[in-house]
Amino acid sequence: MNWLTNLTTGLKSLFRKQEVERELDEELDSYLEASAAYKRKIGMTEEAARNAARVEAGSLNAIKHQVWSSRWESTLEGLLQDMRVSVRMLAKSPAFTAIALLSLALGIGGNTAIFTLINQVILRNLPVQNPEQLVTFGPEKGGGEAGGIDMGSYGLFPWYFARQLQAAPGPFQGIASFCSFSDKASIRLPDSGGAADSNPTAILAPANLVSGNYFSVLGAQPFLGRAINASDDATPGSGAVVVISHHFWQQSLSSDPAILGKAISINGTSFDVIGVMPEAFHGVKREVEPPDLWAPLTMQTVILKQPSILTPNGGLYFLDVFGRLSSQAATNKGALAQSQNWLDQQIRTGIRAEEGSKVTPARLQEIGHVTVPLINAARGASMLRDQYGDSLKILMGVVALVLLIACANLANFLLARAATRKREIATRLALGSSRARIVRQSLIETTLLSLTGGVLGLGIAFAATRVLIRFVSQGDSYIAMDPTPDSTVLLFTLGLCLLTGILFGLAPAIAAARTGAASNLSAGGRTAQISGGRSARFLPKALVTVQVMLSLLLLVGAGLFLRTLRNLQNQDYGFERSHLLLAEFNARLAGYKPSQTPGLHQSLIERLSALPGVRSVALSLSPPISGGNWSSNVTIPGYTPAPKENRHSILNRVSGQYFETAGISIVAGRPFNNSDNTNSQKVAVINQTLAHHFFPKGDAVGRSVVIEIDSVKGPWQIVGVARDTKSGNPRDTDRVMMTYIPLSQIDPFVPVDPSAPAAGPTPAPEENQDRFASMIMVRTTGDPVHTVADLRAAVASVDPNLPLLSITTIHDQVSNFMTHDELISSLTSLFSLLALLLAAIGLYGVTSYNVVRRTNEIGIRIALGAQTQAVLWMVLSESLLLLAIGVGLGLPLALLTTKYIKGQLFGLSALDTMTFAFALVVVSAMTMFAAWLPARRATRVDPMAALRCE
Amino acid sequence: MPIRADEAGQYGAQSSDLVQGTLEMLILKTLALEPMHGYGVALRIEQISNGVFRVNPGSLLPALSRMERAGHVKSEWRATENNRRAKYYLLTARGRKALTAETEQWQRQIGAIARILEA
Repeated sequence: MNWLTNLTTGLKSLFRKQEVERELDEELDSYLEASAAYKRKIGMTEEAARNAARVEAGSLNAIKHQVWSSRWESTLEGLLQDMRVSVRMLAKSPAFTAIALLSLALGIGGNTAIFTLINQVILRNLPVQNPEQLVTFGPEKGGGEAGGIDMGSYGLFPWYFARQLQAAPGPFQGIASFCSFSDKASIRLPDSGGAADSNPTAILAPANLVSGNYFSVLGAQPFLGRAINASDDATPGSGAVVVISHHFWQQSLSSDPAILGKAISINGTSFDVIGVMPEAFHGVKREVEPPDLWAPLTMQTVILKQPSILTPNGGLYFLDVFGRLSSQAATNKGALAQSQNWLDQQIRTGIRAEEGSKVTPARLQEIGHVTVPLINAARGASMLRDQYGDSLKILMGVVALVLLIACANLANFLLARAATRKREIATRLALGSSRARIVRQSLIETTLLSLTGGVLGLGIAFAATRVLIRFVSQGDSYIAMDPTPDSTVLLFTLGLCLLTGILFGLAPAIAAARTGAASNLSAGGRTAQISGGRSARFLPKALVTVQVMLSLLLLVGAGLFLRTLRNLQNQDYGFERSHLLLAEFNARLAGYKPSQTPGLHQSLIERLSALPGVRSVALSLSPPISGGNWSSNVTIPGYTPAPKENRHSILNRVSGQYFETAGISIVAGRPFNNSDNTNSQKVAVINQTLAHHFFPKGDAVGRSVVIEIDSVKGPWQIVGVARDTKSGNPRDTDRVMMTYIPLSQIDPFVPVDPSAPAAGPTPAPEENQDRFASMIMVRTTGDPVHTVADLRAAVASVDPNLPLLSITTIHDQVSNFMTHDELISSLTSLFSLLALLLAAIGLYGVTSYNVVRRTNEIGIRIALGAQTQAVLWMVLSESLLLLAIGVGLGLPLALLTTKYIKGQLFGLSALDTMTFAFALVVVSAMTMFAAWLPARRATRVDPMAALRCE
Repeated sequence: MPIRADEAGQYGAQSSDLVQGTLEMLILKTLALEPMHGYGVALRIEQISNGVFRVNPGSLLPALSRMERAGHVKSEWRATENNRRAKYYLLTARGRKALTAETEQWQRQIGAIARILEA
């Protein structure tokens, strides 16, 4: 407890310093008195005794200082004193302080904003127990349903196989699965009467299907109630229970504490709410729009509104599978390899079993090499991370550079100020201040600046992060990202502040400490400052050179990204990118049966075509460009494909005027028309790539194509060839094959599987779910945005319950593929301009300072007959040299660095000449301008005034 | 000339330098006899050492302040024999323990030094 009393007495004496001082005075008094008394006793006179006592004791003030210094609180007091001095110094030069705080706030704010996102998108672990043990099986590729691929090759698995792994997880602690996509379901909440089915208002929320052990393998504990367990997920069709997200509970159920056990209606079926997950939990996948509901896989027919895909063998590939490694495998490479081997064996056995007995030896060998990599999922599987991870890392680099430039600038300002404060420092040194104390005061001043800048920066970061998140979310109302800084972010910012404070404070501090006491107090101080400062003048110049170098680097980056965005936008997309409105709808959620679709589609087209300002209307499964696609392998009767030949085609089912509405031209044959109906020959339109691939002689029209999906098998007679279009990511330059079929010609029933056992009563024919369209496309004469209200009204007049999921223009639909290109190019441009501005201010400052310093010299030169031009050139040449060195170092640096962003570029090389030339011109122009202003001032120096000044 | 507070031992002696680090031990020893005020301590040390060690207030008072903080001594204001007020320093239990420990260590050290010199 000793240190505690020490602390309290210390603090007490600090706050009652006067009292402590008075007591010390008194003690000294009595000391002198006692000393004098003793001296009188041994025979001195009154007068002599008192004098002797004073002489013996020495300086009373020195003693008091020594006593005070022997206590720890004196250090603290010194710090407080330094802080007061620093605040006074900063307040005395408000312009400098404002610029310093602004550039620091921008620099630190930018860094904090980007780091907040990096922390959430890249760094943060899943909020579950031992997340480092989690692995996904195969890479995350977005999700969807697929057939005819090797198991696991897209990270997707069929239900029966995931179920097998789940039952016998081998070396894993557990293996669980979930549906790779979370479609929106129509939810009706219990109304005031308590019954969910009677509530007329439905809300749409993403729902995810999960295996019974999903939550237990994840190790995720519910916030309320219980999670889904194995008994919920026992038999297909049973287990109508649902776990809801914290967000959904809060937003849609007003955090109802009594929600557990109540029923909500999902797609018309009643589900018991059994649990609420904690706020931080969003599932295994990090998605922009995470699931709000989790239901057992056994409820698939209800949640996905489609016939069962939970088949005992074969079936669609739609599940993501993940496992929890044993604790050894999570830390030990050998054990991990064993788990990997085990999984590969399971998958090879699974594929062999699926392909049956007619496998060729070559194929067998191929199967023997199939491997599905275990991928660490401690931070979840994230498309967001893949999409934005690299951009964010690049942006982090950019903002770090900006902060560095800001630091260089401040260091320069402070150096200049330190030069003007030389006399003050010399005086303090002469009066007995230690150099350490002067360095300390200087560092305290800069740290104070950087901390204040950091606090302002946090505010800027909060606002900036909100904007960035809105950008990333592309208008979704809720996304699982939060601009509020957490403790990691706050620590990061604090560290950054201290680092910057030291970074830009150290050089001036050292310069201050190197000041010699004697030379600067002497009369020649001014001249010493002018002539002796070769090394002192080198540092500011070096800093400016570094700034020029870094600005050049940033400008090159900004130029490359801007041109990438331009290239992406100016590509040939193959369809019209204006005057087209896209509206996604889901008739299944409104309870439509496939047999009702022709009538619905017909009335939608009629009603929408009648709208003013509408040129044509079409329905389709997907718009010309979208993130996910319906696809399958195709075969051409009479064409023998080579082994492993790519026969993969994107499919779209469309109404009659699709090509006209989308603005896709037909290069051969004809588009669909109204005579293509159920009674006529089944027809298809293919794209140029497919035509080239199978019919290189140009004889595609008249041949037929067969789709390897039973419900839309065909054969379809090819009647036309459409232009190639970009159907997905605009960066993909691979040509993809496409097949369009008319919605009106899709069979009403799914053909009965001929391999199914013929015994027993023939099952009722199953309706064909592939007759649904989900996209309304409206080509308008004017701005499509003006048609949105009319479109809503028209759809509501057909059926008020038909949910419109989203309405967007084709322009926005295309831009959505480029958000991160837009983000990175606009932010890099913004930051590089900021950097350039800072560098220009820095150069301006240094040049001005030099001109002021050399006023005498310039005056003498002018008096001796120097021409204006010569003076201008003398000042400018110095800056030009700095520019030349900065560019000389910056160019090779940029050439080296751009290598690392090659992956982010599109349609240009990382060494794009145009961009480099542009960056050079901008940097040079800015430098010249910044140097020219003070140079011009130098030419106006009045020689008489300058000389008299001395 | 700047005065350095942290090297009281070096600065204190005039007739002879006080051996470094021994000032506090000497103060403890002096106070072990009876409570004393600052000048009393200085005088006692000078007298007992026959004037070899002279302790001036510039090192004595900081040392007393440090020792008070460390809990080795405590202080109170009392009347002197001349009826003046003075700050008297008293040895605490902790101070007594410190004195024993420091004395033992000192004895060991000079013993060792003596052996080395005699060898």
